[in-house]
Amino acid sequence: MPNTLKNTSVRLGCGAGFWGDAFDPALELAERGNLDFLCFDFLAELTMSLLQRVRAKDPGQGYVPDMVNWFADLAAPAKASGTTLVCNGGGVNPRAGAEALAKAMQVKGIAGRKIGVVAGDDVLGRLQAFRDAGMKLTHMRTGEDGFDRIKSKVVSANVYLGSDGIIEALEGGSEIVVTGRVTDSALFIGPAMHRLGWGFDQPDRIASAITVGHILECAAGCTGGMSSRFDQMPRMGEVGFPIAEISGDGTATISKLPGSGGHVDQFTVKEHLVYEIGDPRSYFTPDGVADFTAPHIEETGADVVRVTGMRGKARPDSLKLLIGYSDGWIGEGLLMFPWPNAHARARKAEETLRERFKRLGLASSAISFNYIGLNMLHGPAAPIPASDNLNEVGLRVAVKTASRDEAEKVRRACSQLWIMGPGGTSFGAPMKPRPTIALWPTLVPRDLVSHSVEYITS
Amino acid sequence: MTRSLVDIAYVRAGDKGDSVSVGVLAKSPEYYAQVVASVTPKTVAALYGDWVQGEIEVFPMPNIDGCLVLMHDALGGSATNTLRFDQTAKSLGTAILRLPAIAP
Repeated sequence: MPNTLKNTSVRLGCGAGFWGDAFDPALELAERGNLDFLCFDFLAELTMSLLQRVRAKDPGQGYVPDMVNWFADLAAPAKASGTTLVCNGGGVNPRAGAEALAKAMQVKGIAGRKIGVVAGDDVLGRLQAFRDAGMKLTHMRTGEDGFDRIKSKVVSANVYLGSDGIIEALEGGSEIVVTGRVTDSALFIGPAMHRLGWGFDQPDRIASAITVGHILECAAGCTGGMSSRFDQMPRMGEVGFPIAEISGDGTATISKLPGSGGHVDQFTVKEHLVYEIGDPRSYFTPDGVADFTAPHIEETGADVVRVTGMRGKARPDSLKLLIGYSDGWIGEGLLMFPWPNAHARARKAEETLRERFKRLGLASSAISFNYIGLNMLHGPAAPIPASDNLNEVGLRVAVKTASRDEAEKVRRACSQLWIMGPGGTSFGAPMKPRPTIALWPTLVPRDLVSHSVEYITS
Repeated sequence: MTRSLVDIAYVRAGDKGDSVSVGVLAKSPEYYAQVVASVTPKTVAALYGDWVQGEIEVFPMPNIDGCLVLMHDALGGSATNTLRFDQTAKSLGTAILRLPAIAP
């Protein structure tokens, strides 16, 4: 049954919290969620650099390939439910992603569907022009001005866009919206603003949408996933992804499909409110600044949580630009040691590896050794037991190098311990060197970056 | 026996760039005052030692009976290039629960 309260409330679901998330909860929401919008976040900080590398090899690629298959499969059930699909799976090539989707839909006999494509976030080709115009591109965190130091190594440069493009695409009649780098929360804020008729001159209302978007954007993250009380969460392998209903007055409820796994309760929602944020009094997005110390969160039923009292400030004049650049390689290895004297074996193995690194002439900028079972996760916060009577201890080594060849020496040294290492050592499969990306976040004036919207029909 | 935060609080940790954020939530409103008394920049700095190189901020969140710990230069780079196995600091955050629960 379609939602009869359209325009006085909006019903949103989250279909993915990352590229690699489960499809079945999204399909259930498309079929049975009675949603106005089903929104998918596919992008993480590293993703844009990975996709830019893919695109460099093939100009027709650079979007999230899963998006094409997923949306082609979801298009029919979403249409039947009156649900609009929104995602940022366009990656660094939203138009190519939308074209691939249109083709995949045609193969399934789904014709005449309007896909809105939102772009404008990719400024990789404009960085030099920014510099020429006198912009310093100062590092947001460190205050460093030395952008030219990393210029030749830059792989990706994307501005986090807000909701404007999604709103425009929805006003233009899109049944599916595919974007590049918009904020995770914009995927929810845009549809909410569009449906409820809210404007950027209503900061408290926008703060409601930001807060709800933040709670929903990691999918199972607010329905039992990552929970401190995971042991109490039923059937997490069949977890339901979250649903939010936002009213015109800015209040909201968070829930999930009846019968699905997991829970929505005050703690699953509160835990997600504090997830991956900075100063909670000012949660910055391109659409507005939400105060996360304002919302009141209460359970109003089984798997229903009500969120009220959201407050915020007007959207900022600057947008965040995240530049990714090549930052050398990491070589790593993992060795496991059994009782008796597992810890002592691991320590001797570290000593031996350091000797091998020296012999191999390993050039590195940082070396890290950790003991699995003792301090790999908590570091200095973990007390080391006085007695060496543990069942097993692992040694993990990770080394930062400038080149692949240097990183390869770490793998070689670890393998050499197969025979020259402590008795009883097990190695598993050797770990391949991997290239790494470093991030350079900076701010750019809003008026320098504008979104674009175009349409493709399946 | 002295109680520690694990008895009275939950955590959710995450990363942003080289910063680590840890939300600490009282299991019940009556523990909120103890949580904010126990989790301070000083106690957190002593706990993590040289794994946190930058400033530590603690923001009270009375609306959810908790606080947000923000640790700068705490990930050994960012998730994309840190040498840590726990690339997004999700495991690192639970160490907060080792702190002794201090009466306000």
